[in-house]
Amino acid sequence: MSGDRMLSASPATPRLSGRVEEAGIREFLAFMVGSECYALPLSCVREIMRVPPIAEVPRAPAEVLGIVSVRGQVTTLFDLRKKLDLPCAAIGQRTRVLLIDQGDEVLGLLCDRVLQVYRLSEDEVELASVLGGETSSYVMGIGRPGQRKTQGAGAARVASARAAAAQQSAAEILILLDPIALFKRHAHE
Amino acid sequence: MSQGKEGDKAREEFLAEAQELIETLSRDLLMLDEGQRRGQRSAETLNDLFRGVHTLKGLSGMFGFERLGRLSHVLEDLMENLRLGRIDLTQQVLDVLFEGVEGFSRLLGEAKAVGEPANVDIDGFAESVRALARAKATAHDVLDQYELDPSMLGVLTEYEEHRLRTNFEEGLSVFRLRVRLALDVIDTALEQLKERVKSIAEIITYLPSMEGGGGDVIEIEMLLATRKAESELRAALNRPDASLSLVLRRASGAEGSDARVKSLAPPSAASNSLAAPAPRAAALQRSAPEPPSELSLRSLTSAVRVDIRKLDNLMNVVGELGTVRATLSRLVDKLRSSVDQTLWNEAHRVQRAFGRHLSEVQEGVLDIRMVPLAQLFDKVAVIVRQVAREQKKEVRLLITGGDTEVDKLIAEELADPMMHMVRNAIDHGVESATGRAGAGKPAVATLAISAYQKGNHVVIELSDDGRGIDSAMIREAAVRKGLLTEHAASDLSRDELLHVVFLPGFSTATTVTDLSGRGIGMDVVKTNITRLGGSVDLTSEVGVGTKVTITLPITLAIISALLFEVRGRLLAIPLAVVQEALRLPASAVRTVEGREVLTLRGTTLPLCRLGDIFGFTATTQEHRDLFVVVVSVGNKRLGLCVDRLSGQQDIVIKGLGRSLSQIRGVSGATDLGDQRLVLVLDAAAIIEEVLIGRSTPLSLGGLQ
Repeated sequence: MSGDRMLSASPATPRLSGRVEEAGIREFLAFMVGSECYALPLSCVREIMRVPPIAEVPRAPAEVLGIVSVRGQVTTLFDLRKKLDLPCAAIGQRTRVLLIDQGDEVLGLLCDRVLQVYRLSEDEVELASVLGGETSSYVMGIGRPGQRKTQGAGAARVASARAAAAQQSAAEILILLDPIALFKRHAHE
Repeated sequence: MSQGKEGDKAREEFLAEAQELIETLSRDLLMLDEGQRRGQRSAETLNDLFRGVHTLKGLSGMFGFERLGRLSHVLEDLMENLRLGRIDLTQQVLDVLFEGVEGFSRLLGEAKAVGEPANVDIDGFAESVRALARAKATAHDVLDQYELDPSMLGVLTEYEEHRLRTNFEEGLSVFRLRVRLALDVIDTALEQLKERVKSIAEIITYLPSMEGGGGDVIEIEMLLATRKAESELRAALNRPDASLSLVLRRASGAEGSDARVKSLAPPSAASNSLAAPAPRAAALQRSAPEPPSELSLRSLTSAVRVDIRKLDNLMNVVGELGTVRATLSRLVDKLRSSVDQTLWNEAHRVQRAFGRHLSEVQEGVLDIRMVPLAQLFDKVAVIVRQVAREQKKEVRLLITGGDTEVDKLIAEELADPMMHMVRNAIDHGVESATGRAGAGKPAVATLAISAYQKGNHVVIELSDDGRGIDSAMIREAAVRKGLLTEHAASDLSRDELLHVVFLPGFSTATTVTDLSGRGIGMDVVKTNITRLGGSVDLTSEVGVGTKVTITLPITLAIISALLFEVRGRLLAIPLAVVQEALRLPASAVRTVEGREVLTLRGTTLPLCRLGDIFGFTATTQEHRDLFVVVVSVGNKRLGLCVDRLSGQQDIVIKGLGRSLSQIRGVSGATDLGDQRLVLVLDAAAIIEEVLIGRSTPLSLGGLQ
């Protein structure tokens, strides 16, 4: 235990698990949907898998792509694109399903490409409120790996970072998602 | 950590065990109740009850459920008084007992932390128990009238004395039996003897006798009570060496000191070496009616309690293995041409063996899930008694087929509908005493529940001999509630009207009281049953009675399904709801007011385009020929238009996750073995949707 705590002083050590209580460092799995880079807390990601055959479910909420069989378990597959009003993309070589443990159910989330795991300290995370009032409830913050949060980070810089993220696998800005809110069914659905 | 888990497990065990005990208690109570009505007294049942309460008391104490323990204690006292005949078993006493057992259930619910903190007034209950005890007056003693040695009476326990008295009062013959048993095998020989005797008589007591003993032999004396003749008793004993004599009634005024009975005199303290085994035998003999003095932690049965979810998981694994089997057999087929023949033969044999054993495992898992319906019916019996007492109606419950087995899940889900229906039957079906007398019916109403297996289904029938349902009143109520227009209602046949009680919105408290018929939550009953893949039917004759028939699949886990394609999507529907599948030219479809229908053997069959109601986008040309799958639930029929039939298959239905729990018309999905999922349709919901829709007044086109 004490050994772990000592190690946590050095962010370069990869052995650490991403538990929140460890010096405010959290681990996120980053992935691409469309041109944007998203990340979910690593602790809720059960598995990354190739896309199994999908069965369409009529009358399901719009963001539900269908159901898939994960080792015999019927699992609902969500498509973030539908939630974001992006056009559906064909399933490609790098398309993956993330199995997200959402508490009472394991759900699938389709993503175009899985990037990497980021370890973010508290000062690498901005609150979602920096984006203004209209952010979706499932965005819990913005991650800036490797950058200290500075007051001077202007809109232009965000835009360029976003463009860079679209091209590189190493993202500079991560949209951090709240898994619970992400899959929450709204009353009108 | 593991300590806490162990503790939780022990607690779970306790709760499960207590639940079982309480269920047994209420079953025994019902037996007692029934016996009491018929004027019989069952000492055995009373003893079972006593032991049950005693065990519960011990368990509660051990696990720190103080209130359960206190209630058990009070009940135990009451049972003790009953056993010893200090209190007579009257209807009033039975009520108190039932109340006590109900208190147990509520306290247990509280312990399980599922319900509200139970409001059980144990002190008040204890007071009513004490009142019962005080009420009993001392009876005259019948024992004085028989030729029994007072010194023998002196060694009888209070309970034995009570049994002896009761047997005399009930006119049974009491015999004295003397048998010599070898000392070295006395335990087994005695047990054997007791078994034989028990088949024909009640053993009141047995003691070692002082006479005729000696060396390695001991003489046992028994007092037996029976209705049988001496010759029969002798035959049952099958021991020519035994001496049997009847205990005679004293000639009035005669002094009781008959030589034969004298032998039962207790051994004098200074007698001889035989005095040693005596206390042992006496202790043995006491152990039967007395409570077990030390409580065993061992379970009462060899059965294992398993959380149903574990079985669900196991079932899933078995399903997975099924897909492995399919893959394996494909592989083996492929290998045929590429490997050496002997090797292939071997692989083929192994694969076949695997398949066979897998089927056995599958059957085994399904079998484990099966429970007898008696478990449910016992609970129903308690409700029947309770409701009948509330309503001051006399109801006889006839249960047949309690050993019919269904999936545990189905049995659980059936509980609410059964309670509803039983309540309805007694509340509204059964007339008051005066009403019954007026109608020339026997004063005691009969409620019959019967269950039997019919193919892959279980049928449960619940019938009463009450007043039946008046269809005119249904019509009136339905119109008043706006469920039917005056015009539509007048067109309905009697049968169709009966089915109106299943419509949501028909049943409200006021409607029901007005109707004086069925109605409370019949739509709920129907919804619950159809959710299980079953159907409900109702027949009734005014003045004669009402019968509800429930048809259910035996298991939810594996069902036969018909597979078909709709616009390129493969779908499945339980074969149980499929009446037939037809192939017709598209021109056979007619429309009635814009609705597509088909004429099938002279009757009108409403049609439903699944692709349309599910909003599937068309992927292929519409087919020229039409496949129609005719489904029926209850007595409603609907034709589902599909593009292609794809055969039958046994499938394991899996529920969709919580995120998709509200999809109307879909009951789950199944894995066909190649990772492809196929939706399983909910025929009942589709029929409901298409035939009834959500609009009022209702279209009753489907009611036939």
